Amino acid sequence: MLSDITIGQFFPGNSVLHRLDPRVKLILVFTYIVAVFIPDNWLGLALSVALLLVLIGLSRIPPKVMIKGLKPVLPLLAFTSLINIFYVKGTILAEFWIFKISLEGIYTALFIAVRILCLIAAGSLLTYTTSPTALTDALERIMSPLKVLHVPVHEIAMMMTIALRFIPTLIEETDKIMSAQKARGADMESGNLLHRVKALIPVLVPLFVSSFRRAYDLATAMECRCYHGGEGRTRLKQFHMVLADYIAVAVMLLLVVLMIMTNLFSSAVL
Amino acid sequence: MAFIETKNCTVRYSPGTPFEKEALSAVSVTVEEGEFVGVIGHTGSGKSSFVQLLNGLLKPDDGVVLIDGKNIWENPKDIRFVRFQVGMVFQYPEHQLFEETVYKDIAFGPTNMGLSAEEVNERVLHAAQLVGLPQELLEKTPFELSGGEKRRAAIAGVLAMEPRVLILDEPTAGLDPQGREMILEVIGAYHRKKKATVLLVSHSMEDVARVADRVLVLNHGEVAMFEPTNMIFSRVQELESIGLTVPAITKICKGLREKGIALPDNIYTVEQAHAVLLSLLKGGDVRAV
Repeated sequence: MLSDITIGQFFPGNSVLHRLDPRVKLILVFTYIVAVFIPDNWLGLALSVALLLVLIGLSRIPPKVMIKGLKPVLPLLAFTSLINIFYVKGTILAEFWIFKISLEGIYTALFIAVRILCLIAAGSLLTYTTSPTALTDALERIMSPLKVLHVPVHEIAMMMTIALRFIPTLIEETDKIMSAQKARGADMESGNLLHRVKALIPVLVPLFVSSFRRAYDLATAMECRCYHGGEGRTRLKQFHMVLADYIAVAVMLLLVVLMIMTNLFSSAVL
Repeated sequence: MAFIETKNCTVRYSPGTPFEKEALSAVSVTVEEGEFVGVIGHTGSGKSSFVQLLNGLLKPDDGVVLIDGKNIWENPKDIRFVRFQVGMVFQYPEHQLFEETVYKDIAFGPTNMGLSAEEVNERVLHAAQLVGLPQELLEKTPFELSGGEKRRAAIAGVLAMEPRVLILDEPTAGLDPQGREMILEVIGAYHRKKKATVLLVSHSMEDVARVADRVLVLNHGEVAMFEPTNMIFSRVQELESIGLTVPAITKICKGLREKGIALPDNIYTVEQAHAVLLSLLKGGDVRAV
């Protein structure tokens, strides 16, 4: 049940994508997300979809998992598509009461839906192929120039690492407490809204209590090992860019250039 | 007659993902009414999954679970009523305490059963007495109690539902010897007074040896052995080959036997060893084999 949530999950593996430098991956995913908004024509969009499909293939993440990860955004997708279908003006295909459906509307809706799917898929591909620790490490490195402005970069990264680390623990704990209360006859699956909210109290109170206990334990454990923040801290794993990383950057740059070209030479949809 | 019966029960976690794992493979077990069964196996052997099957917290992917001859998943909406019959005390049950007072927390289960206020009151007081919680603690918040008291309060919360089957998952974990002793006595008392069927999941061979009539040994999600307690602990080698130990006293007796002292091979409690050794010493009859 709760443990079935796959967004943000990491799927250990040894594919090319898994082995890329996390800093490079993070920046490239960011670039890709921006790049998806460049093309205004089908050819450009097809390019970004094609690259994404190749990457999914390279990552060896089962397509089933990818699709399952996209499911939660479907309501959002349906909503934006509907709005687009009705709001974009153009050649009218059908008309009833105050609603008008235009051909351009359908095109726009489709175009934007594909864009959103690309965004989400790219984002989840990043988390599927990068361990949370690698991700926050990379983030810390990328943000490190901000230290000059007295941004507590290391502390932010440490907080993120801890938060990410405890998500599965908390999910497991919630599952356990829910089971225990269900075993005592708690009814969490039926009744009206008020009843259901009330039914959560026996789960939330123990969860809070144990979270605080865990936080204290963790703080003590960190202090016992002389943790005192980022000052002068060295790393076990240093990041090094290798050939594959440079190739990845080159491919992304090529994509951006191609997209800009399609904008110049292809007929626009938007 | 068989009170609890599982037929070819298989449980899989995260089916259809790279993390798929079979926790139980076609487990078929029958337990008689009023029996005291110890469930042992090392981490990941499927013992927690097995007991969660019995009160419907886990649904078998294949197979059926019968309680008192009835398939518990026959009507999924009635699964709560199964849970009233099959009480479950989880590992570290004190982590589930949530009410403002100990009294209210113990009353949570019986209240969920829809009992009248007097009935609930009676059961709470009875359960508190059974686990040895003094009256004045009942009005305190559960978070003020000591570790052992919290554990007993949590167990009382399940006993107050007066289930016909009581399942306990590592109820003595993390307690000092006195605390363990007390919990085991409480469980034994409930077993005798209510003629309840009890399943005790434990790592501690000493605990299981002391209280269980029969022992179910699970290994890699399969039933490795299911036999009366005195038979199980004579199979030292088999148990050790699946990574389990036997009670320390059984090991001592085995050592003595190897030194040539004639002791039976099914000693598994200190009391038994005490009696046998004493009679040997008194008779001056320490024969060499």
